[in-house]
Amino acid sequence: MSPDKRPEEQLKESLKELGDLKAALDEHAIVAMTDPAGRINYVNDKFCAISKYSREELIGQDHRIINSSHHSKEFIRGLWTTIARGQVWHGEIKNRAKDGTFYWVDTTIVPFLNEQGKPRQYIAIRADITAKKRGEEEILRLNAELEARVRQRTAELEAINRELEAFSYSVSHDLRAPLRAVNGFAQAVQEDFGELLPEEGRRQLRVICESAVRMGALIDDLLRFSRLSRQALRTQPVDMGKLVRAALADLAMQQEGRNLELRLASLPKGQGDSALLKQVWINLLSNALKYTRGRDPAVVEVGSADFDGQRAFFVRDNGTGFDMRHAGKLFGVFQRLHRIEDYEGTGVGLAMVQRIVQRHGGRVWAAAEPDRGATFFFTLGGTGA
Amino acid sequence: MSDAGATADLLLLEDNPQDLELALRALRRAGINNSIRVVRDGVEALAWILAEPAPMPKLILLDLKVPKVSGLDVLRRVKEDPRTRGIPVVVLTSSREQVDVSECYRLGANSYVVKPVEFDRFAAVVRQIGQYWLQVNQPQKVVE
Repeated sequence: MSPDKRPEEQLKESLKELGDLKAALDEHAIVAMTDPAGRINYVNDKFCAISKYSREELIGQDHRIINSSHHSKEFIRGLWTTIARGQVWHGEIKNRAKDGTFYWVDTTIVPFLNEQGKPRQYIAIRADITAKKRGEEEILRLNAELEARVRQRTAELEAINRELEAFSYSVSHDLRAPLRAVNGFAQAVQEDFGELLPEEGRRQLRVICESAVRMGALIDDLLRFSRLSRQALRTQPVDMGKLVRAALADLAMQQEGRNLELRLASLPKGQGDSALLKQVWINLLSNALKYTRGRDPAVVEVGSADFDGQRAFFVRDNGTGFDMRHAGKLFGVFQRLHRIEDYEGTGVGLAMVQRIVQRHGGRVWAAAEPDRGATFFFTLGGTGA
Repeated sequence: MSDAGATADLLLLEDNPQDLELALRALRRAGINNSIRVVRDGVEALAWILAEPAPMPKLILLDLKVPKVSGLDVLRRVKEDPRTRGIPVVVLTSSREQVDVSECYRLGANSYVVKPVEFDRFAAVVRQIGQYWLQVNQPQKVVE
């Protein structure tokens, strides 16, 4: 304000500014004023609109007229102690309108003090946040619903898992018993009455015996495979080089009497379940040893390489390989690319490898050429190497 | 059982008649001519083993999945009773389940053997068990 203006004019201007300010505030906020006891002595239109009381019904009333009983005694006491001490209180309050409906207001209460430092009056400025609160309540409700649904699904899955567990237990126990009988009694016939049979009859008995044994192996592998998906992963840092050496030690029988050249590069650490990852190495190395059986020397190479910025481990051999046209079948359960007379096995090994690698968030793939060896790669995904 | 008091070197608990026949065949073929008491369910097994006076066999061969009282319960009762605790119990079962293996050892099984499907290997397993526990192993004396 310019100093050359007269006091009346200055006062008029000040009042006009104040009036403007109040008009703007009234456009935006719900405003009320109370005396130190909480009796309402001023409300603006917005206050009347949201509380659904007329101004006449409100003036002179205790502010508790819009109390919703939603908040705890401690909350209300905290509010009053704060403003009675002359401090500004800020928070969200649920109020009740005249018609019994509820509304939420974001509230600032400013105490104004007299000369003794005691509150002279309180001015409360509020904003309607009912919609926001409804949204929040809706989110909470949806979350609770979602959690309930997740709990239900988890319970269902657990029940299915238990059922599967019982199923495989029964398979493991009850399916093997008749197989033992088939094999055992065919064997008994051979021993007790073999001499009475022509050679062809004895051969047929041997087929019965061998088939029973093979079915036993299939049952075992299928059970091991199905258990892989259910058993919990115990993830920890894993020394992959150590696992490779342990796997090779387990496969000592397959290496005996062979001209075998092992090329083991040092490997980066991995992250995963060491028992399961050892199974991956056993299966891949066992395959490499199996399919290089005719080679002199057989060369089996273990290493790691970068693929699209991800570390992949690999096992390479100079064995019999396969046609890449059949690569799609490679990781299927009970899929075999070679004749059973040439290479033994149930066709579960690579399916197990894939299942384990996938459970670690990684992938497995192969590159091969008929008669020129095969390379199997795997990564351990985001959590792995 | 009427002859509940009769003694035997080997108690064989097996409900499957084919498995039983094969086991007896394997024992015979291995030249094990010890006396054998065959029981077909857990109740019968416990009635014989916990009789007075306790028959104290040199070995109990136990199948897990048998009618009435399970092999696990027979194992538990045998190992709980101070009189029979010292009798070696070998679990001979189809189950490779880790839960069964751990539970058997927890209950005090002396050995856990999975029945092979192949009879030659089954026979070899039965022979080894029989020879070791009935002929090599030194059983405890009957304490009265």
